[in-house]
Amino acid sequence: MKIKKGYRLRSLGKEYILVAEGLEASDASQMVSLNETAAFLWKAVEDKEFDAAMLTQILLDEYDVARETAEKDVAMLLQTWKEAHLIEE
Amino acid sequence: MKKTYCVAGHKFSVVMPDNDVAWNEMYSYEPFDCEDPSGCLFTAELLDVMPDTSGKQMVKVSCEGPDMPRIELYECNDEWLMEIAPVMEAPVRVFLLTDKAFTKARFRVLGSMHFSLGTVLMLMYAFATARKNTLLMHASVTMKDGKGYVFLGKSGTGKSTHSQLWINNIEGCSLLNDDNPVMRVMDDGEVRVFGSPWSGKTPCYHNVDVPVGAIVNLHQAKKNAIRRLSLVEAYAAMYVSFSGYRFIKEMADGLHATNEKVVSSVPCFALDCLPNAEAAWLCHKTVAQ
Repeated sequence: MKIKKGYRLRSLGKEYILVAEGLEASDASQMVSLNETAAFLWKAVEDKEFDAAMLTQILLDEYDVARETAEKDVAMLLQTWKEAHLIEE
Repeated sequence: MKKTYCVAGHKFSVVMPDNDVAWNEMYSYEPFDCEDPSGCLFTAELLDVMPDTSGKQMVKVSCEGPDMPRIELYECNDEWLMEIAPVMEAPVRVFLLTDKAFTKARFRVLGSMHFSLGTVLMLMYAFATARKNTLLMHASVTMKDGKGYVFLGKSGTGKSTHSQLWINNIEGCSLLNDDNPVMRVMDDGEVRVFGSPWSGKTPCYHNVDVPVGAIVNLHQAKKNAIRRLSLVEAYAAMYVSFSGYRFIKEMADGLHATNEKVVSSVPCFALDCLPNAEAAWLCHKTVAQ
């Protein structure tokens, strides 16, 4: 899968938001807030093909977390991104 | 003839033939007359012939609602070309050509001069000030005790109505602007709101500015309730209340920086409201502290 074009990640204080600033974005008023971990993963795979296993590995490399927890977190995050139409297969 | 105006501390000039009747449509700009034309951000010149727009390339079409102008943006010989219709389903009535730095605009008008001048100058103003800690807002602003209370909301939500409710039910309130005030983060970090020559259907063109007391995002509801917005919620409420071409990175970066400064320093609220005096009292009691 791949992140759709047209989004930009912006920091706001200690938080992160995705804004649909690009011409490619279908809904220019769309905005999604991300926590620090989600923002970190977004930056890591912004312009590449990726899958759940790859995101899990990135999490394991960066954070001291059990594989099972990382897999669960990644599954939840991907679900959220899919529901927000942020990724394409 | 060339005349210069100063809105929220930003100057611009309008160039039109001496005796053109179009000058009669500039009454709302008179409070913003400025003698000294130096340091203008942009000049807008009225053309009496159609500019050459052959070779134009479509970039995007935007329209924020059925009753809002439709703007077709093209790239044309290394300039931006905007072809503007008064509402979504109408033919193009204004052609606006500008350099990409938004310093020099030429425009050709086929329809209403009042609509055209307002639209051309508002667009140019918003684009030329986007990187200067300035936001041309869609909002209604009421003043009370030397502060401005900025009411946001989608078209038809009742921003103007809420301003009127403050004015009719709370001592010492007055309207600063009813549609397009300017918000600016000053060099010392203070956020101020300014009147402008653009105020929708309400003739309210005050060259006055005050510090912002609070920003309130309005929603119609069956009962009145108010709550403080988080930083992200406030950013999102503001984000849809000013415009700009965000695909132009420098513009998006400028607007983001200004919005972040505004919502970090001004208290922002969400008000569920009925169009009644109680809504104004609740809002005033909560936000004017």
